[in-house]
Amino acid sequence: MTAKRNHIAPFVWQICTIAALLALWQWAALNHPAPHLPTLQNIAAGYLRLWHGDLLFTAIIPSMSRLAVGFFIAVAVGCVLGLMLGYLRELDPWIRPVLEYLRFIPAVAILPAALLLFGPTDTMRVFVIAFGSVFPVLLAAIDGARRVEPLLLEVARVERLTIPERLFRVVLPAAMPSIFAGVRIALSIALVMMVISELIAADNGLGFYILRNQRLFQTANVYAGVLTIGTIGLVLTLALLALEKRVLAWHRGWRGLANAG
Amino acid sequence: MNEPILVMDAVSKAYSAAAPILKDISFSQKAGEFVAVVGPSGCGKTTMLRCIAALMQPDQGQVLHNGMHFFDPPPWLSIVFQDYNRSLFPWLSVRRNVAFGLRDIDKRERDERVQTALQAVALEHAADLYPWQLSGGMQQRCALARSIVVQPKLLLLDEPFASVDAQTRIDLQDMVMDICKKMSLSTLLVTHDIDEAVFMADKVVVLSTRPAHVVEEIAVDLPWPRDQLTTKESPEFLRLRHRVYTLVRHQAQKHAGANREELK
Repeated sequence: MTAKRNHIAPFVWQICTIAALLALWQWAALNHPAPHLPTLQNIAAGYLRLWHGDLLFTAIIPSMSRLAVGFFIAVAVGCVLGLMLGYLRELDPWIRPVLEYLRFIPAVAILPAALLLFGPTDTMRVFVIAFGSVFPVLLAAIDGARRVEPLLLEVARVERLTIPERLFRVVLPAAMPSIFAGVRIALSIALVMMVISELIAADNGLGFYILRNQRLFQTANVYAGVLTIGTIGLVLTLALLALEKRVLAWHRGWRGLANAG
Repeated sequence: MNEPILVMDAVSKAYSAAAPILKDISFSQKAGEFVAVVGPSGCGKTTMLRCIAALMQPDQGQVLHNGMHFFDPPPWLSIVFQDYNRSLFPWLSVRRNVAFGLRDIDKRERDERVQTALQAVALEHAADLYPWQLSGGMQQRCALARSIVVQPKLLLLDEPFASVDAQTRIDLQDMVMDICKKMSLSTLLVTHDIDEAVFMADKVVVLSTRPAHVVEEIAVDLPWPRDQLTTKESPEFLRLRHRVYTLVRHQAQKHAGANREELK
């Protein structure tokens, strides 16, 4: 009896919480009409408008492409550089202080500089996204590469693998669990940087859409834009977790056994 | 052609001047010979093995493989390490662990060779499992398969049976002897188990305590094939075992005596 209730309860409570919040919002919107409190149907209409027609091509797709390119660059650069720095330890003392310093610069702070450097272009936005999200991947890859089992590297030497082969076939897979943890953090930073980069001198993208509707006092659209970014973040995170589950299936089993034994 | 596959020529190694590990180690191994190196625990056997594998260069002396000096492991050399749970790739299935060293050959030949190696260690049924799903003995068989699939000429075994239970150890010993004879491999076994050394080898090299040097080389002329029961009951086996045991114990006692001297 208790067991059954516990099984159902979390799901029911989650639905109830969401329903209650929505009901409260709608009640407030209907009884206290104010510009900053649009009704749910207005927000929903704005949300749906974003996902088809012109807005899809002027808001969502530009944002997603910048995010995709910037995030991809961050992951690629972070992995390659990180694995090399982690594996070739001789390089580490030279480059580590620079990295450790750059890491403390909030990516937002380089936005004005990036604007000077690249102008109000897509390059600037992609750069800002990549700069913001590269560090978690880079540091995770360094860390992962350093913790490779030394015996596995000796096996690779005995099997006469070249250094690139060792990096690709031994160091990369061994560092994968660590890298994925870094990539998850990088994704959330990339989303932040995507929005922020579109708030400055932009003429499309979700950030621009939100800002313009705020200026036009179209609050329903502002909230719709915010919810759309939330949706994108959620979907991308779920996709990343699904990928991680596939790629790291071995790790869960191995770690489970290591912990048990 | 009669050139020894491995020559250790006065090999010395020290991590620091105060702590020499190996001192003037010399012995040689003929092609096809099974050599066992025994010594008191902690005498530097693993360091010696790493020098032989060219994973490490000696400070003095030379390690010659077929008369040549190597700065990286020679292509015909393979190793089975003691720690099977650290030496197998946890992200690869048994099949792909075994195939790890096979490159630059076409897929069909690779599959065939992996299959043959898996059969030799009786692991065909576990080919698609991951190492962490296997027992210790099976993991070590997987490591063994990975070593023989590249068809090496010299196989180094670093205490390969030290981390498994007694029954599994016996099975593994029989399996290794069988494989080495069939493939006419030259095998160098490093162990602290005297019975194992005498039982499996053509020649036993006894090392001293640190810094390790060769105390004696003992030829083992026990007939092949060797059997866990009859060979180990034969007077010749017992005589050799007694001889090796006495040498190793003498080394251990000398070491203890030296420690007592230091305490005074």
